[in-house]
Amino acid sequence: MGNVIKLFLLFLLATVCHWAFALGLGYLGLQVNLMLAFALAFCTVLRPAFGYPTAFLCGLFLDFFGTKVFGNNACTFTVATFIMYQIMPRFDFEGVLPQVLTVFLLTCFTGFLNAWLVWEFSSSILWPGFGSIFGGALISALFAPVAFWLVSRTLGSGPMCQSQQHASF
Amino acid sequence: MVVKKHKTSKKGFSIRRNYWLPAGYLLLSVFLMILPLEGFISSFKTVLGYIFLPQVRAAHSVTTYAQEVSQTVRELLDAHSENQELKQEIATNRLLVAQAQAVLEENQRLSNTLQLSAQHRWKGKWARVAYREPSQWNTVTLDKGTRDGIAERSAVIAMEDGKAGLAGIVIEVTERTSKVLLVRDEDFSAAVYLERGKETGLLTGNGPRPVRIQYIPLQAYVEEGDNVYTSSTSSVFPAGIWVGTVSKVKEDESFQTALTVQVDLAIHSSAIQEVFVIAAG
Repeated sequence: MGNVIKLFLLFLLATVCHWAFALGLGYLGLQVNLMLAFALAFCTVLRPAFGYPTAFLCGLFLDFFGTKVFGNNACTFTVATFIMYQIMPRFDFEGVLPQVLTVFLLTCFTGFLNAWLVWEFSSSILWPGFGSIFGGALISALFAPVAFWLVSRTLGSGPMCQSQQHASF
Repeated sequence: MVVKKHKTSKKGFSIRRNYWLPAGYLLLSVFLMILPLEGFISSFKTVLGYIFLPQVRAAHSVTTYAQEVSQTVRELLDAHSENQELKQEIATNRLLVAQAQAVLEENQRLSNTLQLSAQHRWKGKWARVAYREPSQWNTVTLDKGTRDGIAERSAVIAMEDGKAGLAGIVIEVTERTSKVLLVRDEDFSAAVYLERGKETGLLTGNGPRPVRIQYIPLQAYVEEGDNVYTSSTSSVFPAGIWVGTVSKVKEDESFQTALTVQVDLAIHSSAIQEVFVIAAG
């Protein structure tokens, strides 16, 4: 129960951080996606049974404010989480570099996937541009170590968390 | 064998679960994407959007606060640079005030001198002292010469304490400069008269000692404080230039046939800065 409350509070914090960055850097035309950084950070701590729904809800939260398609962010977050769970045994996410690199690449990937999904399901083009996607991904990646540290410090261990092998940092 | 089969079965279940779980959420999200954004779905989305509104407001507050902090820091930096500029401006203004003060004093001197010029209507040129002998205050060099119409044997007057007085005579002239022999020099001499008794005499410099007037008749009525002016009998100086005041009258030497009068000069050598060179002839 304690972990659920902590997770909920972290989710609230993630939403605030995401919107703060989105509003603050919006005038620069950068598509910052801190929500994804938090979702990936949750994956490193939570077991897949909790990680997938959490990531799905994180994506769904962004979908509530979208206008073209409902569920596209939930889809891209699920795909990103799947990739994260696949590569997690092969990388040591205690280090800052894997965190930054993974968040950067997956944010870019979800940016492209999102644009494709919107085009596919609504026949409207939602292309922010390469600069916006890469710039936003870079900022998200730079913030990623903070999100990873915050999640691991707050959730740490518990019935929802993975074995110590994956959640030891 | 049974155990091995059980292990394989458990592993297979785990693998299946690892793929079924994301697949389920993917299907759910695809289902959501297929749904038309109208009617009930739109209302549902709007209602849930309102639930998340406090976070958006909180984020907006955070952003606004960050922008305000940024604005405040920027204003502080601007104020700092403005402060630096104002300090420099104040220093410059202080310098200008000092310069203006000097100009004001100079203007005052020149105004006094112009008053003199208006009174006497002498023709000539204004000049500044460009150089003076550091040890002997007997000559000064002016910044004007023949190019400016200054000629040798021209009378030079100056101002001190608002009054004009004889300063000396031009003895050398170059194209751009001229040398003035001051009244106190031993080689200087000029015909003068005493204001009270209208007695004339010869004023001569006496180096470091007081200037004196010689050849004043013994019967002449002379007192300390009498004014001394250049005489019309002088071939060099125009008549009526104030030279100074009588400071002492010597009459104790019985063998002399004339009085010797000491004069306190109207213009002291150290006070000469701008002079008026009266055109010769």
